Amino acid sequence: MLNMFKKSGLIQLAVAAAVGMGASSAMAQEIKIGYNSDMSASGSAEFGLSALWGAQQAAEDINAAGGVLGKKLAIVARDDVAQPPKAIQNTNELLDNEKVVALIGSANSGNVMAWLHLPQQKKIPVVSPIATATDITKRYEATGENYVFRVSMIDRDQIALLVAYAVKATKNKKIAFIADSTGYGQQGLKDLNQVLALHGMKPVAEEKFGGKDTDMTSQLSKIKESGADTLIIYGLADANAYVLRSMEKVNYFPVTLGSWANVNTPMIQLAGPKLGEKLIFTASTTENSTPKASQLNSVLLKKHPKMTAFVTAAQSYDSVMLLATAMKQAGTTDGAKVQRALESLPTTPGVIKTYDKPFSKTNHEALSVSDFHLARWKDGRIVSYEDDITRTLKPADLKK
Amino acid sequence: MIEALLQALFSGLALGGAYALVALGFSITFTTTKTLNFSHGDFVSAGSFIGFTAMLLLTGAPLGSVIDVLAVGMSQQLVALLAAIGVMGVLGIALYATAVRPFAGKPGMAWVMSTIGFGIILQSIGLAIWGPAPVKVPAALGEGVIRIFGAGVRSQELLLIGVAIVVMLVFDWVMRKTMIGKAMRAVAHDRNVASLMGINVNAVMLGAFFVSSGLAGLSGYLLAPIASASLFMGLGTALKGFSGAMVGGLTNPRGCVIGGFVMGILESMVNLWQAQWREIVMFGVVILVLAFRPNGLFGKKLVEKV
Repeated sequence: MLNMFKKSGLIQLAVAAAVGMGASSAMAQEIKIGYNSDMSASGSAEFGLSALWGAQQAAEDINAAGGVLGKKLAIVARDDVAQPPKAIQNTNELLDNEKVVALIGSANSGNVMAWLHLPQQKKIPVVSPIATATDITKRYEATGENYVFRVSMIDRDQIALLVAYAVKATKNKKIAFIADSTGYGQQGLKDLNQVLALHGMKPVAEEKFGGKDTDMTSQLSKIKESGADTLIIYGLADANAYVLRSMEKVNYFPVTLGSWANVNTPMIQLAGPKLGEKLIFTASTTENSTPKASQLNSVLLKKHPKMTAFVTAAQSYDSVMLLATAMKQAGTTDGAKVQRALESLPTTPGVIKTYDKPFSKTNHEALSVSDFHLARWKDGRIVSYEDDITRTLKPADLKK
Repeated sequence: MIEALLQALFSGLALGGAYALVALGFSITFTTTKTLNFSHGDFVSAGSFIGFTAMLLLTGAPLGSVIDVLAVGMSQQLVALLAAIGVMGVLGIALYATAVRPFAGKPGMAWVMSTIGFGIILQSIGLAIWGPAPVKVPAALGEGVIRIFGAGVRSQELLLIGVAIVVMLVFDWVMRKTMIGKAMRAVAHDRNVASLMGINVNAVMLGAFFVSSGLAGLSGYLLAPIASASLFMGLGTALKGFSGAMVGGLTNPRGCVIGGFVMGILESMVNLWQAQWREIVMFGVVILVLAFRPNGLFGKKLVEKV
């Protein structure tokens, strides 16, 4: 029987086929990086979309330069529509079905905090290109093997800048906070209180609102009665717009500060230019921060003419780039080794800046307050904001 | 303090107007067909989007754009409003024909599942067409803030309150003073006897669903400039509107409207105290009212013949 096989050359054919299949499947093997974020539902959906496009562009550029460890990078994306249960479902799917070697996401801090334990347990590195809640990178620090990293504007640092400005801007030493009841607002309130305490002050009023609320007049009436002349709002773009509209109804216009969530266009669309331009918020990378940023921006705009928020595209691009660099340095996609490589990356050039040892065992933040500045909307565009107070801000004021 | 209370009162009345219209919608279908439209919330959301799309089409703007307030004239607003009411009314008839009529009057509660299912289908179709993001819709009478004794109200909120009251009065008058009203009340009282007396029961029920769904469309259209048109806006509104109907008495249209306003004011007042307790207090009150008066504050005792 075997003679028949040998004679007809079937064995040779079978072996050749097996080798061929083996070779092609090795070539077809990609390195999958999962992307899990809201891209459609919440006030930060624009952040989510831009970050996806940035990640895809990074994968494309890296693949054009030879890929990682001889394989091509692929971004596998899922939309979590800003719902924590869906975000958890997506994470399980990406980790168990798609077998991604790293995760990038999400736009909403509440969602990230819901699924964070899954990649940490499975030793899959996570880089957050958007979600800013301070606890995200701090939660597993004590374990000594923290798999969560971030290339974004961490809330603690944003709040350090906002509070430093507020403390100098307030004339009657009365500062108030108003935040949404999602994970983002709740964590933000914690940071706000702690940082303000470092300046030796307490807020005279602290109010909350629901993420989908459209009428905050009651909360603002109470804040107005407390006499605060400076207000920090911690919520998403659309809710912030409604806070501004409610401020108009109660005729209360304190110095109003907010986070980078206000970079998203729903804020100016819903509030209108008259109200929207009153809000001063934190921002970082813009299209013309660096030559690489301008280049990335024009490439992305050609592919996605409706892109609005460039900052998360740049942060996501650098997230993928740093992951790829770590994989090359570790020589493998094994989660634990990539995690150690990330913590010991050397000077690495990126789109946003050149990262000088971006991460370490105790620091998982690639960006810090020195990369941030204040901005506001003007005539439909985001512009840097400067006044007498910003000019007097020194690093010592930025307590965190 | 007075200013804050007054402000909360006006905001509460505006919200309450929307809840009142929704509560009235529930009452209409319940009294005539003994069924409830559990997809009422999705009708509200869809109504807001139909109105918005109509505005886009009328002003010639490309679909998917954001409209500036000045671009939509009064007559166009009116046409968009009629479109919202009309389309939702027709959908209500479709709902009645497919999800209610096969099950109404028969023992069991199959119509609960079928109306819920209709709502989910409606929401999914809406998501496929318009997407989940909220959309800004211009207000008919401008975005300016009107000051009443120091409290600020927007024109759209006053419009909503006004329309809710007018609808309640018109509905009251129709029910009591016209033949159609008499026919509806007869069908609500006893379907079989009304049929024997020559009333076209089917037509009355169709009409009830048309009116109820049309009211949902009206609520959505009026709410959109205040709260942004969104496919998820209806759920909260319908739930609170239904609670208002239960509190006021599902069988009494006037009671439903009053119940709706009460829920709105309660919501606003609790906001003034501690915003995160809002839903807890509101639904706690509903449970309390129903515990002592199971048929609502103004409802009549429902006797089920065995």
